[in-house]
Amino acid sequence: MNSTYSVVAVAVVALVTVVIGAFGLRISRTTSDFYVASRSVGPFWNASAIGGEYLSAASFLGFAGLILAYGADMLWYGVGWTAGYLILLVLVAAPLRRSGAYTIPDFAEARLESVPTRYVSTLLIVVIGWLYLMPQFQGAGLTLRTATGAPAWAGGALVASVVLVSVVAGGMRSITFVQAFQYWLKLTALLIPLVLLVRFWVGDGSPTPAEAGGTDWSEWLTPLSGRDHSLYRTYSLMAATFLGTMGLPHVLVRFYTNPDGRAARRTTLLVLGLLGIFYVLPTAYGVLGRIYASDLAGSGRTDAVVLELPARVIGGTTGELLGALLTAGAFAAFLSTSSGLAVSVAGALSQDLLSRRFSAVTAFRLATAFAILVPFVLAVSVDDINVATSVGLAFAVAASTFCPLLVLGIWWRGLTPYGAVAGLLGGGLASGGSVVATLADVAPSGLAGAMLNQPALWSVPLGFALMIGVSLASRRHVAPNVNRMMVRLHTPEHLDVDRGGWTPEHR
Amino acid sequence: MSFPVTDELPTTKHEAYVRVFDDPDFKELRKRYSTFVVPMTIAFLVWYFLYVVCSNWAPDFMSTKVVGNINIALVFGLLQFVTTFVIAYLYAQFARTKLDPLATRLREQFDEEVGK
Repeated sequence: MNSTYSVVAVAVVALVTVVIGAFGLRISRTTSDFYVASRSVGPFWNASAIGGEYLSAASFLGFAGLILAYGADMLWYGVGWTAGYLILLVLVAAPLRRSGAYTIPDFAEARLESVPTRYVSTLLIVVIGWLYLMPQFQGAGLTLRTATGAPAWAGGALVASVVLVSVVAGGMRSITFVQAFQYWLKLTALLIPLVLLVRFWVGDGSPTPAEAGGTDWSEWLTPLSGRDHSLYRTYSLMAATFLGTMGLPHVLVRFYTNPDGRAARRTTLLVLGLLGIFYVLPTAYGVLGRIYASDLAGSGRTDAVVLELPARVIGGTTGELLGALLTAGAFAAFLSTSSGLAVSVAGALSQDLLSRRFSAVTAFRLATAFAILVPFVLAVSVDDINVATSVGLAFAVAASTFCPLLVLGIWWRGLTPYGAVAGLLGGGLASGGSVVATLADVAPSGLAGAMLNQPALWSVPLGFALMIGVSLASRRHVAPNVNRMMVRLHTPEHLDVDRGGWTPEHR
Repeated sequence: MSFPVTDELPTTKHEAYVRVFDDPDFKELRKRYSTFVVPMTIAFLVWYFLYVVCSNWAPDFMSTKVVGNINIALVFGLLQFVTTFVIAYLYAQFARTKLDPLATRLREQFDEEVGK
């Protein structure tokens, strides 16, 4: 594979990201600019940015790879990632905005009036963020290796440094524009090669995998076949993706970049449309990959299917150019998700660890470096597993910890700090332990293995049960001002009650 | 680290808060919200789980071919994306037509009371 086009494509994406980031530098001066882009972003740009940030390496590469390997069952990743947004909108988005808190730790402290709950939440934000960043760097390594033959760490290092530069320079406002641009780049990068691939496929006599020498078509198309305990796995995956989205650190903060609640709803609607359109594309790549590249499933390199298809199917200069376009799109995916996560993890770290020793902006910049370096080191030292599977684990941890905290915190006045901490730690240790077992590849086979690979179906109920049980046992410790907080959470958005006017600058 | 949550609000504002909470319009607002959200949440969960249930207990039905190699399972799967969007659209419509006018009326009352 001629690597010149791909190198140029990656360089252009990286350069544009840094340039737009630097442009944002002149605009963002205050802390509020850094965190929420001064609440001045319109629905269309905000939705594109959310889409750009949300569609990570897992959606761009991993999802198609899983479709290639396991077929129809894996549609649940795409559906779950989309439906998770809907649940976030209906159950928690509006009350959380009204609480005046910027992040989950802010919410935990404000609602439960407890500083320890805040610190446990911060710890979990960092863990989930790192778990999610790690596969982005691994995906970058894989992409650069596929395109140019560079060593596996090089792609990760490139993404880490570009993110570091653009986040440190511009904060949230500039990355809003970067990410909006990256959504459209990702969509185009998948769409154009796909149109040409499908034309080739039709011209080729529309072969099925059976004719093309692949494995059986019917088992692959039938849900719940081909993997052990697939019914359990499917339900668990649904629990993780449906309930985990609301707990992802980079997702919630985006709702604050809308000027009001109505704009936030319009944004969500646009996001669902953008995500729904997007997920059809990697599905099609997975199907075509089954026909033309089924050997990838056997060699365990399914993540590369999107990148390799044009060269295999079309070939020649056209194939190389299309491959370069896909490589560019993949890098857009790594960069946008990583910058969003880096901002969120850095925000949590700088507020709670560094803000007393340094000025706000210095603390944020130091924290950004820390937020990126740790998962980068993890990415080069852990064996590659499918990036979508790896991201699925981050969803499972978020669903087992922050989903109970947010849902109970918003809708049940009986939640106490003791219950919250017990649920966060219990759900976090159960799902986190499963993640470690899966990453270290020590999970046994059979049902126990399936339960460790996809923990959400048992760890989410565990988190809820601990929070409710311990709260009932510590009923005397309900937050003293809980009634006023409940009014604040459930009073219509544009009612001008005193919501506390709480912003990071006032800390 | 101090939170305005625990600060004292000016008394007039605080009393207005409590009155808003007891206002029939506010109760109606919360009722409307839950009569929409609860059935809708149940409906969409049933719809999603139906896919899994059919896959497990009616695999023959799911692998019925519609056109060429496209079977019902695949169509069903893609429909899940469409329904997600439809539900969100319905929610946005509902919030705009049924919730927002009530909330606006509450705000007007509140502004009058606090004398803003």
